[in-house]
Amino acid sequence: MSETAGKTLTVAAVLCGVCSVLVAGAVVVLKPKQVINADLDFKKNVLMSAGLLKPGTDINEAFKEVEPVVINLETGKVAEGVDPKTFDQTKADKNPDFVESISKKNDIAGIKRRAKLQKVYLVKKDGALDQIVLHVYGKGLWSTMKGFLSLDKDALTVRGFNFYSHAETPGLGGEVDNPKWIAQWPGKKIYNEEMKPAIDVVKGNVEPGMPNAEYKIDGLSGATLTSVGVENTFLFWLSENGYAKFLTNVRTGEIQ
Amino acid sequence: MKSKELLLDPVVKNNPIALQVLGICSALAVTSQLKQAAIMGVAVMIVTGVSSAMVSLIRNSIPNSIRIIVQMTVIASAVIVADQVLKAYFFDVSKQMSVYIGLIITNCIVMGRSEGFAMKNKPVASFLDGVGNGFGYAVLLLAVGVIRELFGSGKLFGVSILSLTTEGGWYQSNGLLLLPPSAFFIIGVLIWVLRTYRPEQVEKE
Amino acid sequence: MKFLEHFFESKKPLFEKGGKLEKFYPVYEAIDTFAFTPDSVTKTTAHVRDALDLKRTMITVVFALIPAILWALYNTGYQAHLVLASGKFQAIGWRHDLLMSLGLSHDPTSILSNFIYGALFFIPIFLVCNITGGIIEVIFATIRKHEVNEGFLVTGWLIPLIVPPTIPLWQVAIGTAFGVVFGKEVFGGTGKNIFNPALMARAFLFFAYPAQISGEQPWVAVDGFSGATALSQASSGGAEALNVSWMDAFLGFQPGSMGETSELAILIGAAYLIYTGIGSWRIMLACVVGLVLMTLTFNSIGSDTNAMFSLSVQWHLVIGSFAFAAVFMATDPVSASMTNTGKWIYGILIGMMGVMIRVVNPAYPEGWMLSILFMNAFAPTIDYFVMKANIKRRMARHV
Repeated sequence: MSETAGKTLTVAAVLCGVCSVLVAGAVVVLKPKQVINADLDFKKNVLMSAGLLKPGTDINEAFKEVEPVVINLETGKVAEGVDPKTFDQTKADKNPDFVESISKKNDIAGIKRRAKLQKVYLVKKDGALDQIVLHVYGKGLWSTMKGFLSLDKDALTVRGFNFYSHAETPGLGGEVDNPKWIAQWPGKKIYNEEMKPAIDVVKGNVEPGMPNAEYKIDGLSGATLTSVGVENTFLFWLSENGYAKFLTNVRTGEIQ
Repeated sequence: MKSKELLLDPVVKNNPIALQVLGICSALAVTSQLKQAAIMGVAVMIVTGVSSAMVSLIRNSIPNSIRIIVQMTVIASAVIVADQVLKAYFFDVSKQMSVYIGLIITNCIVMGRSEGFAMKNKPVASFLDGVGNGFGYAVLLLAVGVIRELFGSGKLFGVSILSLTTEGGWYQSNGLLLLPPSAFFIIGVLIWVLRTYRPEQVEKE
Repeated sequence: MKFLEHFFESKKPLFEKGGKLEKFYPVYEAIDTFAFTPDSVTKTTAHVRDALDLKRTMITVVFALIPAILWALYNTGYQAHLVLASGKFQAIGWRHDLLMSLGLSHDPTSILSNFIYGALFFIPIFLVCNITGGIIEVIFATIRKHEVNEGFLVTGWLIPLIVPPTIPLWQVAIGTAFGVVFGKEVFGGTGKNIFNPALMARAFLFFAYPAQISGEQPWVAVDGFSGATALSQASSGGAEALNVSWMDAFLGFQPGSMGETSELAILIGAAYLIYTGIGSWRIMLACVVGLVLMTLTFNSIGSDTNAMFSLSVQWHLVIGSFAFAAVFMATDPVSASMTNTGKWIYGILIGMMGVMIRVVNPAYPEGWMLSILFMNAFAPTIDYFVMKANIKRRMARHV
C-alpha cells in the first residue's frame, strides 16, 4: 500500500475521531449508572459501620433514617451556610479555605492536615437521634486507612466501625476487616472519666478482669503497627483537633 | 486454521501465559480472589477479541509507519469502554481491581494478537483468535486464582470451603498466597507440569 | 555385617537395569553406599585426587554447627524453664509428661533438665525436617535417575536452627518441602541452586505463617507466654529498652530462633570453618564490615522517632541472628559469590542491607534472611563483572 504523509495523517485523524466518539459515548451513557453505584457504595459503608446493614436491606430505604450534617470542628457546631446534600468531603479535604495543618505534636494519626468542615451522619430511630457516624482516617503500617466510626447517642460508646479503604498486609494488618475483630468494638467506651480519648488497642488479648477493660481492644496478632495505627486514628479524631467539641455538644443536647 | 483450533489451541497447546509468558503482571495482581480473576479473564477475552477484530477490519488502510500506535489506540478505546462498563455494572469488583482493568492496555497478549495475527487475517478469524487467547489467559488466571483463594483465605468465590483458625476453624491460612509474588511460584509450577506432559513446549537450548 | 552385605548383594538384581524395581535404583544405591564402600572405586591415578568431596565438605559444616546445636538444646530448655519457674505458666503436653517420668523437673538451674527439655523441642523439628527433605531428595533422584546425594545434609541441620522452638511441625514439613523444591530442585538439584534452600524455607514460613515465626509469641517454648526478642525491644526503645546484658546476649542467654542466640558458640564454629578452609573468611569479615559501615551511617544520621538509628555497633553484632547468618548462611559456597573480590562485595552488601532492613523497615524486625536471599540473586552478576574487570586488566597489561 502506498504511504504518503497526507494519507497517514488522514487515517490517524479519522481513527482518533472514531475512537474518541466511542470512548466519550461510553462514558456519557454509563455515567448516571456509575454515579448511582458510587453513591450506593458510600451509603453502604456508612450503614455498615452503624450496624444497620443486614442481608436483604434496601440501602436507599435504610439510609432515609440517616441525616448528613456538615459540622465545623473548631466550634463543634453545624456549619452555617453549607448544604450537606451538595457538600463534597473529598473536595473539601483539598480546599485550601477549609484545610488546616496539624502541628507535629498533635498529629498522631500521621495525616498532616485535615479540613475543618466535616460531614457527619446522624442516624435517627423513630425521629430521635440514635447513632452518630464519623468519618475517620489515619496511617496504618503501609497505607492510609479510611473508615467510619459509629457512636451511640451518648457520644461515649462505640456502636461499630469499618474501614472502607486500606492496603495493610493481607492476613496480618488486613485483619482490620475481620468481622470477628470488629465485633469486639461495640460497647467499648471512647472517653475516660476526665473526658480524654482513652480507646486502647492492647498487645495480646484483653482479659475481662483487666483494669479499664472497657476501653481496651485485643491487638491484631502479628500486626502491632496496624493496631497502633487504628488506635491513633481514633485517638486523633476523638481529640480536640477532631470531633471532641462536636461530641460535647451532642452530649449537652445542643445537637439533636 | 479452523475456528475450533483458533479458539482452543491457546488453552493448552499455545497458552499465552504458560508458553509465551505474556501478561504475567496482571496475573500476579488480580488472582488473590477468584472473582477478580474471573472478571479479569472475561474482560481480557472481550478486549482481545474486539480489538483484534477492529484492527483486522482496518488492516488494509493502516499505514505501516504508524501501525503500532493505531493498534494501541484501538486497544485503549476498547479497554476504556470495558472499564466503564465494569464500573457501571460490577462496581464492587471494579473498585477492588482499581487500576488493573485500565492496565489491560499494557497487556502484551492484546498487543501481540493485534500485531501478530489480526494484521494478516480476516476479521472473523481475528476475533476468534483474540477470544481464544483471552480464554487461554483466563483459564490460567482461574487456575492460579483457585489455588490462591482456596489456600490463602480458605474460600472459593468468597464462599468458605476450609474453615479458618482466625474464625474458629482448623485451617491455618497461608499468608504468602495472599501476596502477589506467590503467583510467580504457582505459574512456575503450572508451566513445569505442563511442560512435563508436553515436552515439545520446552525451549531448545 | 556379612549378613547385611549378602542381603544387599542378593537384592541388587532387583534394582539393576531390567530388574523389577529398576526405578528405585537411586534409593538402593544410597542405602548401599551409606553402609558399604561402593563396588566401583577409582583405581588409577587418572583423577585429581583431593581429600575434599561433597560429603566431606558437608560433614565439616555440620561439625562446625555442633556448638550452636548444643547451645540450642540447652537454651531452649533454659528459657522455657525460666518462664515456668516464675509460676505464672503451666507446662502441659507430652514433653512435660516425659520430662516428669524421667524424674526431672522444670528447673532452670539443672543443666541436664534444660538439655532434655530443649531436645524434646529440637529433635521432633529435626526429624520432621530431615524426613521431609529426604523424601523429596529421593523422589527427585528417582524421577531424574541420578543418585541421592548429600546435598540435603547441611540444610537439614540448618532449618531446625533458624526456626523458633514452638513452630508447628506441619509448618516445618511444608517449609522444608518448599525450600528444597524451590530453593534447589527447580534449578537442577544440589550445586546448581541460586538461593540458599534453608533460607528459602525460612522465608516461606515467614511470609506464609508470620504469626508462628515472628512477633512475640513463638520465642519461648511455653504455651501462652509472649516475650519480645532483644531486637523488638531495641526497635521500640533503643539500647535502653534491652533487658539483656551485652555479655548475656553474646553468650546466648536470650530467647530467639533456636541456634542463633549464642554468638560465642557460632564464633567457635566460624573458627573451625575458617581453619578447615571450608567457610570463606572473606565473606564473614565482609558482612561485619558492611554491618559496621551501615550502623555508623545510621548513628550519624540519627532520628527522633526511630530508636534503632542510634543502636550501637556492638549491640547490632550480638542481638538477632547476624552471627549465624554471616557464618553459616552467607558463606554457602553454592549460592555465594565465587571470586575473591566478589566475596568482599557480596558480604559487604549483605551487611549493609541487613542493617538497613533492621533499622528502617517497620514491618520486618530482622534483615539477614532477606538481605542474603537478595544478594544470592546478585552473586553471579557480581562474579561476572569481577571476571570482566580482571580480563580487561590483563588485556591492558598485555598490550
